Amino acid sequence: MNGIADLGGRHGMGPIRFEENEPIFHAEWERRMFAMFILAFAGGHFNIDQFRYGMEQMAPAEYLTSDYYQHWLHSLEIWCKANGTFAEGEIERRMAQLAKEAA
Amino acid sequence: MPTMFSVKGLDELVRTGGSCRVAVEVPSGFKPGDNVRAVNINPITHTRLPQYVRGKRGVVVEDRGVFVFPDTNSQLKGEKPQHVYSVVFTAAELWGPGVNPRDTLYIDLWEDYIVPEEQAS
Amino acid sequence: MTKDHDDHHDHDHDHDHEHRRPDVALRVKAIESLLVEKNLLDPEAVDKLIDLYEHKIGPRNGARVVARAWTDPDYKARLLKDGTAAIAEFGYSGIQGEDMVVLENTPGVHNMVVCTLCSCYPWPTLGLPPNWYKAAPYRSRAVIDPRGVLEEFGITISSEIEVRVWDSNAELRYLVLPMRPAGTEGMSEDELAELVTRDSMIGVGFPVQP
Repeated sequence: MNGIADLGGRHGMGPIRFEENEPIFHAEWERRMFAMFILAFAGGHFNIDQFRYGMEQMAPAEYLTSDYYQHWLHSLEIWCKANGTFAEGEIERRMAQLAKEAA
Repeated sequence: MPTMFSVKGLDELVRTGGSCRVAVEVPSGFKPGDNVRAVNINPITHTRLPQYVRGKRGVVVEDRGVFVFPDTNSQLKGEKPQHVYSVVFTAAELWGPGVNPRDTLYIDLWEDYIVPEEQAS
Repeated sequence: MTKDHDDHHDHDHDHDHEHRRPDVALRVKAIESLLVEKNLLDPEAVDKLIDLYEHKIGPRNGARVVARAWTDPDYKARLLKDGTAAIAEFGYSGIQGEDMVVLENTPGVHNMVVCTLCSCYPWPTLGLPPNWYKAAPYRSRAVIDPRGVLEEFGITISSEIEVRVWDSNAELRYLVLPMRPAGTEGMSEDELAELVTRDSMIGVGFPVQP
């Protein structure tokens, strides 16, 4: 698809954003997301080409302003919903429950 | 159906990964030195042919072997195994005037992404 | 740096980012708890994977490969002929390094690697990629203005030298073999490995000049 992920040759994306002493992961959720991608792939939720296709379907503005592991999150959700692992609204309900427990 | 991938298999998974290389005999339509042109396609689904090489002329440098085809595999329409070639494009062919004439771009293109081109770039 | 200091640093970083994306952190947590509950995710495997890629697999692996190639001509020949097999001699193999190609920098050619379509990167030799490698500025411009990008990394390549950009759009993964710095004759393989930077193996930097 002629989507936002196909970035080669575009102008206007700004200077490269370096980070001094960049850590491997920037937050705990990045660690968990990284591992879940590998294990969901190995567990047969999607093949690698489906996974990349899932990332490409992110809304362009969101794609450009989000952290990279959010692209993975987006694709993981698409395929786990498509294969019936998560019902509609199930993730949001669990989020609400976890937020309540933490409060 | 998806299953749980157990920690027991993890060392093996990390060590071997999951190559998209396929061990099947598929005829190759190109060889190193062949002049080719990247096809101009605009599928609304997944492809690994970036827009910036579509329609451009390049030269096959190497046959990388046979791999799963992402365009069909991403849609669960089969692996359609085919050769992947390292293809070189000049920066001038891709971007026009103003580039260093020595500069080049190498990209790996599946058999379906290229057609023969009579004239060298 | 002590281990404690490292952990402290990680923690500060984490705090900033959790704070910036609280909704995302919660969402990931929800998904993880659901997958575990549905018996589709092994929490032990999650922890082990994180430990592997945070602490064990990184650019020091690639540096050892490069240093060996600098000191052992037979190894270098094997590395350039079949990167996957030669890298596996060190025990580096697997996920995102299944099919490796090593690109030799020479006095006439400077190689640099990008993935314009996503974030493909050779994990077994370089570990996980830095954010800039996965972000739009590098991915968009590395192909159309490689020399300008290299300038941003503080590198100027003579116009007499060919800049060769490799888009790792397919399943091949690329490692740049930088040129051995002058004045390193007599250095051991281990000493040489210390000079090899991550960026020099992506092609956006040079090894450290001793």
